[in-house]
Amino acid sequence: MREERSDMSEDEDGGGGSAKSRGGGGAPPPFSDQVLENVLENVLQFLSSRGDRNAASLVCRSWYRAEAQTRRELFIGNCYAVSPRRATERFRRVRAVVLKGKPRFADFGLIPNNWGAHFHPWVCAMAAAYPWLEKICLKRMSVADGDLSLLAYSFPNFKELSLICCEGFSTAGLAVIAEKCRHLRVLDLIEDYLEDDEDEMSDWMSRFPETTTSLESLVFDCVGSAVNFEALEALVTRSPALRRLRVNHHVSVEQLRRLMALAPQLTHLGTGSFGSAAAAIPQGGNNVVDLVNTFAASKSLVCLSGFRDVAPQYLPAIYPVCANLTSLNFSFADISAEELNPVIRHCHNLQNFWVLDTVRDEGLQAVAATCKDLRELRVFPVDPTEDSEVSVSDVGLVAISEGCRKLRSILYFCQQMTNAAVVTMSKNCQDLVVFRLCIMGRHRPDHVTEEPMDEGFGAIVMNCKKLRRLSVSGLLTDKAFAYIGKYGKLVRTLSVAFAGNSDLALRYVLEGCTKLQKLEIRDSPFGDSALLAGLHHYYNMRFLWMSSCKLSVRGCNEVAQRLPHLVVEVIRDRDEDDDGEFVEKLYMYRSLAGPRTDAPPFVKIL
Amino acid sequence: MSESEMAIIKPEAMKSYVWLQCTDGSIQQVEEEVAMFCPMICREILQTGMGSSKNYAISLPERVNPPILSLILDYCRFHQVPGRSNKERKTFDEKFIRIDTKRLCELTSAADSLQLKPLVDLTSRALARMIEGKTPEEIRETFHLPDDLTEEEKLEPLKNTNDDLRIRLLNRLYAKKRKELKERQKQKDVEVEEPQKDERSVDEILSFINGDGDSKSAKAAKNKKKNRRKKDQPKDPSRIESEKSHKKDALTLSMGRSEPGGSNSPSPSRAEDAFPTRVDFEDGDIDDELDPAMKEELDREVEDFARRLNSDWPERMQEILSLSQERRAVPNLMNGNGSLQRYTGNRRQ
Repeated sequence: MREERSDMSEDEDGGGGSAKSRGGGGAPPPFSDQVLENVLENVLQFLSSRGDRNAASLVCRSWYRAEAQTRRELFIGNCYAVSPRRATERFRRVRAVVLKGKPRFADFGLIPNNWGAHFHPWVCAMAAAYPWLEKICLKRMSVADGDLSLLAYSFPNFKELSLICCEGFSTAGLAVIAEKCRHLRVLDLIEDYLEDDEDEMSDWMSRFPETTTSLESLVFDCVGSAVNFEALEALVTRSPALRRLRVNHHVSVEQLRRLMALAPQLTHLGTGSFGSAAAAIPQGGNNVVDLVNTFAASKSLVCLSGFRDVAPQYLPAIYPVCANLTSLNFSFADISAEELNPVIRHCHNLQNFWVLDTVRDEGLQAVAATCKDLRELRVFPVDPTEDSEVSVSDVGLVAISEGCRKLRSILYFCQQMTNAAVVTMSKNCQDLVVFRLCIMGRHRPDHVTEEPMDEGFGAIVMNCKKLRRLSVSGLLTDKAFAYIGKYGKLVRTLSVAFAGNSDLALRYVLEGCTKLQKLEIRDSPFGDSALLAGLHHYYNMRFLWMSSCKLSVRGCNEVAQRLPHLVVEVIRDRDEDDDGEFVEKLYMYRSLAGPRTDAPPFVKIL
Repeated sequence: MSESEMAIIKPEAMKSYVWLQCTDGSIQQVEEEVAMFCPMICREILQTGMGSSKNYAISLPERVNPPILSLILDYCRFHQVPGRSNKERKTFDEKFIRIDTKRLCELTSAADSLQLKPLVDLTSRALARMIEGKTPEEIRETFHLPDDLTEEEKLEPLKNTNDDLRIRLLNRLYAKKRKELKERQKQKDVEVEEPQKDERSVDEILSFINGDGDSKSAKAAKNKKKNRRKKDQPKDPSRIESEKSHKKDALTLSMGRSEPGGSNSPSPSRAEDAFPTRVDFEDGDIDDELDPAMKEELDREVEDFARRLNSDWPERMQEILSLSQERRAVPNLMNGNGSLQRYTGNRRQ
């Protein structure tokens, strides 16, 4: 990573001496270096943004050292870009670490199991180097129970653990965390995949300290196994600081009501199933009234999610809190527009809304009518296949664009779209930073004009001047990419699937998008010559992923040779012999650590 | 009447003063309550009793010069008055830090030496705001800082920080190469003197023709001249470029390292021959003795050496590193069955 610099401070001979003769020769005498030296660390501690810290570390030797001493939060966007040892040796006083592992396409099953991104070497290095570590946030890493154990035993002051899209651990690991991390404030498990055997599950909920806890956030909606509800209730009772609680689908609505009654101070609530345990259905009516009252008492709620098996008769119970909601996640709720309408009508302050496309265009129109402050919208498909029924379309998109002018981020799955709708959105929502349109049918053109979707995406990059993240889909020719290369000057992340005609498309992007950091491409006809067109830029990027394109081993080899600090991985799906020249999956990233030593047999590093 | 107004009309004789002395010898008389606002001065007064008269002035730290002292005292004079509202203080602070960068740095440093934390934080924040959003070059300009990180340190560095010996060797080679290129520049400047050398070689040729022994030296001299000229042309552009951006050198080195053994490496035998005599890497003297042909060989040899260093070491270093990691990891295996699972490969899908 360009952000991590080595401490090649060989002050002897060649390196230092000849360098000093350069730079600053005729400039005014450098006084500030001396003056600032005493207070530099104090000044730098007020710098928090990563970009500012990176800039400060490149100013001169003394600043490099002072910045390394004062960095409190370490962000590593690719765990293979630097070795744990190097990171811990440079930054000695870190209190919080963010580590990201696999590329995003791992979420779509494109990366075979056991590929890597192991937390183990990191936790070992940190256990030795950072005894005062307080926070760890991992995304797409492979975490074993042993790692969690080591974590729990190594950091006496540990406060916050966030695991996002991780796998490899089980409730046993959670049990150790709960028991040993006595100062735990945050335990957030978000979209993880836990390895749990039916007969080997651990009652981790009972392992929290018996005394009052400092828990502020407990998120476990992705945990597949049921938790000990009595233990959970007791835990909530003795956690007065609890503000965020997201339970899994095993918690019924009756149980939820009891929890809410114990914790009226909650601000973020994940409702679990929001459906009844079968036995309770006959008392349906009373239950709803109780539930409404409970919600009415939760005056601090601003964020609601869950609704995993929502029983529609319970939905009205949330009306009392709707007006205060800034965030509502219905992405697991199979509800219709009619069921959505009475809820959304009250949500004037909503800024984040996630929903299933079962609400159809009518539902989105209702959103557009009320949620004038909407910043982020995500519409997920209930049936993510190519030929599912049309539910949301260009009509919904246009409605949103007209009603929600402050929109900054949109993820929209649909079966069909028109250029006109996308152009309209580009004009109405000038604040767009993230635009991800997923037309599920491959190579699907504008369903009205039958033309490629080039003009629509072109308008987005042209009109939305703050755009940083873009996902394209539908039938796209090289022209769309010419637009992206020409106008997408701030684009940092680009996702391409089933698009483009020729190598030109990729060339446009690599040559035009000067701020490109992350590029993920699948099933598009790009070959070696396009790959080689980006040599000037790859060191500035975090990674490039290309799968099912037209790459050959020769082309990838050439990149590897010309750019020695790039790790070029060729990944095979099956452990067959070399498939000749053809490269199925290419994942390449800059690295200070060189080729990794933990690569499984199906990964070949060139 | 507010306390501050009371202080003003209080007769001079009733006010107590302390005397402060800067390192330049100048002495200032300051109201006691103002000076006491600085923890360092306060301690001096209370612990040593100094400051009560001109002869026993409190010596201030070096970093506090008279103009900065006066600024600090303005700050103290304002803030030591208890009756002020938060808003007043904030407004004062905001105006107070609107001074030029140089004085702001001095002020921060001086406040730090006087242990006046609120002022240190105030000025530090102001300096941090000046740093935010700037590129390294811009920061250097703002604060007049030297650009003393080598290009190698700024670029993606080449290897593990533990490779001390390797880094030293490569740095030497690198510096040597730079020096060589400077030598070439000197040679170019010296070209004017060549006519003299021409004469000498003519003499030598004549003596050769006339049957004197030194045919070899004559040839060598001739070759020197020829090669030098030939090389000046292609080399000059690269010299200019390399002085502009040493990045190119580093990249050349690295590209030399990564090229496969086949096409571009020097013929092994020649390099082998040259290598033993270059084991001693003390710079300077060797260069002057070399003729251009040898220098070209040196170029190639530097790249080859770098390449070989890099190809041999990674495996050995990885071994050493992984050994040391395993030793650390072993005690931890006892803690969780999960890690044992991992090592025995017994993971469930």
